[in-house]
Amino acid sequence: MAVGLTLIFGVMRVVNFAHGDMMVWGMYLAWLLAARAGIDPYASFAVCATVLFALGWGVQRGLVQRIVDAPHEMQILLMLGVALILENLALLLFGPEPVRVRSALGALTWYLGPLYVDVARLVTFVVAVALTLALAAFLRRTDLGRTIRAAADNPYGARVVGIDVPRVYAVAFGIGAACVGAAGALTAPVLPFQPALGLSASVVSFNIVIIGGMGSLLGAFVGGLLVSVAESLGAVFLRPSLKELVSFSLLIVILLLRPAGLFGRRTP
Amino acid sequence: MTWLALGGLAVLAVLPAVLGPYALSVFINILFYAYLGQAWNIVGGYAGQLSVGHAAFVGIGGYTAAVLAAETGLTPWVGMLAGGALAAVLGGVIGYLGFRFGLRGFYFVLLTVAFAEVCRIVASNWERVGGAVGLYITFTGDPRQMQFQDDRAWYYIALALTALATAIVWGMERRRFGIYLTAIREDETACEALGVPTFRHKLGAMVLSSFLTGLAGTFYAYRYSSLQPGAVFGIPLSVEIVIRPIVGGAGTLLGPIVGSFILTPLAELSRAWFGQGGWHGAHLIVYGVLLVAVVLFLPQGAVPVLGRLVRRAAP
Amino acid sequence: MTTRVSRRTLLRATVATAAVAGFPLPLRAQAETFKIGVIHPVSGPLAEPGQACRIGAQMAADAINEAGGIKALGGAKLELLLGDTQTKPELGRTEAERVVSLGARMLLGSFDSGSTAAMVSVAQQKRVPFLVDIAAADPITANVARSVKEGQQKLQYVYRNFPTGSSFGRKAVQYFTEIFQEAGVTPKRVLLMYTNDLFGQNQSRGFLAAYKAASPPWQLLDEVISWPEPPSDLSTEVSRARAARPDVIAPITRPASAQLLLPEIARQRLDVLGIVGPGSPGLYEAGQIATLKEHLEYVLTSVPWPNFQNPRTRQVAAEYIERTGGKTFDTNSGYSYDAMMLVADVLERAKSTDPEAIVEAMRATRYTGGLMQYAGPVVFNEIGDNPNAVPTMIQILNQRPVAVWPKDVARRKLVFPRPKA
Repeated sequence: MAVGLTLIFGVMRVVNFAHGDMMVWGMYLAWLLAARAGIDPYASFAVCATVLFALGWGVQRGLVQRIVDAPHEMQILLMLGVALILENLALLLFGPEPVRVRSALGALTWYLGPLYVDVARLVTFVVAVALTLALAAFLRRTDLGRTIRAAADNPYGARVVGIDVPRVYAVAFGIGAACVGAAGALTAPVLPFQPALGLSASVVSFNIVIIGGMGSLLGAFVGGLLVSVAESLGAVFLRPSLKELVSFSLLIVILLLRPAGLFGRRTP
Repeated sequence: MTWLALGGLAVLAVLPAVLGPYALSVFINILFYAYLGQAWNIVGGYAGQLSVGHAAFVGIGGYTAAVLAAETGLTPWVGMLAGGALAAVLGGVIGYLGFRFGLRGFYFVLLTVAFAEVCRIVASNWERVGGAVGLYITFTGDPRQMQFQDDRAWYYIALALTALATAIVWGMERRRFGIYLTAIREDETACEALGVPTFRHKLGAMVLSSFLTGLAGTFYAYRYSSLQPGAVFGIPLSVEIVIRPIVGGAGTLLGPIVGSFILTPLAELSRAWFGQGGWHGAHLIVYGVLLVAVVLFLPQGAVPVLGRLVRRAAP
Repeated sequence: MTTRVSRRTLLRATVATAAVAGFPLPLRAQAETFKIGVIHPVSGPLAEPGQACRIGAQMAADAINEAGGIKALGGAKLELLLGDTQTKPELGRTEAERVVSLGARMLLGSFDSGSTAAMVSVAQQKRVPFLVDIAAADPITANVARSVKEGQQKLQYVYRNFPTGSSFGRKAVQYFTEIFQEAGVTPKRVLLMYTNDLFGQNQSRGFLAAYKAASPPWQLLDEVISWPEPPSDLSTEVSRARAARPDVIAPITRPASAQLLLPEIARQRLDVLGIVGPGSPGLYEAGQIATLKEHLEYVLTSVPWPNFQNPRTRQVAAEYIERTGGKTFDTNSGYSYDAMMLVADVLERAKSTDPEAIVEAMRATRYTGGLMQYAGPVVFNEIGDNPNAVPTMIQILNQRPVAVWPKDVARRKLVFPRPKA
């Protein structure tokens, strides 16, 4: 999920509070597909990503694009509105109970002596790595990817050389949402979810992106690992209910010392 | 302009005479959030340092007054000031770190969010201040304990706070401090080049803003009779504080008030109309749609638009 | 009650609009109804229990109205004015003010202790009797009782028919002791694990205090493991639990954390006599059983539970399943149902809509028609709580929750220690 945020932010400099709720929608789509059509979330994540791509594209074209010239904080407000709509639509349609998608892999655990491996988590991890690499390749190697990066670096210059910047933004926003959707589907078997999960998902996601580095895919990935390791250490050496304290303290320190994140370019 | 403001204040002052009890409570909410928005406006609007962690100051202020009242019997009227002072200290720390290390824009947003979350987690795990269960305030109806049998008292407190904050901001706009803040928002690098002590001014704005926000914490604790870490330190409250001045027009004197007069009734009406039947959450969807609509129609905030209308009507 | 936006709701909303605008409309001149404000968190993080409460209260009101309304008030029908707190204390207060201004003569709610505390001031200020259907934090009623005792308030308008955190704890410790005795074991390493939110911490405090007071033969470990809600992962917490080598795990969960905790306990192969909860949601609901399946089998929890020996309970439970599309009639829906029935009982005895008369009838309550499992009739003590509101030990057996303790209400024999897999 952090990958999606980095991309949107890297390209758009958008503070997107709706991200967590988009992820929850990815989870519910995976849940619907599993319950109604019997498709395992490890297969259906592509569908979820496509649907969320359309949603992201639509939000960018229909809403964000209209207030591009408004003060930056207006975009936060817009995303809050979208987040409210998404969360409560989920509440209306899917009900308030926490659910979890049962995947065939979910029940599997490999034991290696005293160690054990949760297969579902392992697969989620591997697919996330693959997606990150694919996305990085897309941004580096394809024309569209290069255009996106150009528009992010210098929108004015991009327009001068004839790039349709609004269209590129919409694609980038869509890709970001698609990543979030895929992340939602992939985490659906390992994490119980309910409509109200969106906010905490957004916060965790911000955390990861900042610690890893804004605009850096590798950074978002390492940030994700670092946050989970730091929280586990916090749970072992402090009280587990204080574990979030560790990741937020880490966030504050990183913000102060390396605001561009561990792997980010220096502050623009 | 001045007589218009005084006229508005006079109308608000006599309003409780004609308001029903529910309308009164809605107006208390409008004024309370207008006050919080005005306090936020100093640092978030004028100085352009977007804080989405102002709930931390509400929480610190409320907890300080409530703990002092419970442990030493100190009246919340004094505890309120102590709470404001502690909130100002926290604001000073956040501002010092954020501005010393040069965090701007989204990075400053995250710094404030992170500090508020740290406060929430600490309060949830600190038994002395009630932990996750929180603190509960006894309803006594005794004005010395900031409890009132008649809700109009709350109305006038909220009105007085809003008027106070607005007067402070009005005065600020007219002094070098306010002008510097606006200049910093517009172009910080240029200000530095011209020798404006940007750090000191931003820090001053943060401390003033957090002090005023801290006062609101005691209001919250005693009006709503309890403090829970999730409710007073949480992101949802920070967001509530931020959205009204933005809708009204951040960095304008009347923005927070106009914004609160737009958004608070919208939330109430959507709940009253759509919160009834079996469609749980429908009223929040409606509210979300309204929020999006407001942003699309008033992308620069309500006050600049109103100002243009007024100027066109009376050239 | 209507369940969709109908003309009546629109009318009500119009009244609210008018009230906002400062033009009080005359109240509807129609057949007399008794209006009661029913406020729960039906959206936001606690939407799940909040909705269950609302439906429970609506079903009871429907039953009362079908049976001819409140006879002592000339057959007045109950009209519910519904409110949503979204689990925000400030909305508890605003919603209470709203329904009171629409004519609510009583308040019912509101699950979350913060919003409930905010409603208390409205009840005391406006003299509106308030029956708390669910909310476990002790100070809610105790604070009011104290201010009445100290003469700051004349009369207590707030009463609660739900176990408080401390009474939950006392009962849980008692049941633990009895169950262990019945099974012929004396565990020396019982591990308390809880979710560190309002409810979880309140429950764990009650449990720990009761344990200290009772000093039972079984022993709690000094180590207590808590996690923030909602957790994204509990593997470290469970590893820590494993390292403590517990023989019984006592979890206080929320539905979401239960969905992580129980599979993790199985995955890390914790060898315990059983999992016995001191009282929390997440361990018995239909949705949880459908998701957790075998992980919930043999799990015991001490929760407020409907008395299924009563045929009326079974009938209402069947109706509830039909109305909700398969959810179980349990703690939350049950206590809200009973609260509404209690309101009717109080009104029949008050024979008046005068708040003082209602409070007087409330204090004289000896209600035996409740569907929940009580230790005696519903009565209110000097604090305003019902000392007979007690939990029941239930167990998931063959994927269904059944009462197993105390013995006289048990519908199946409890299985403890749990069979080895």
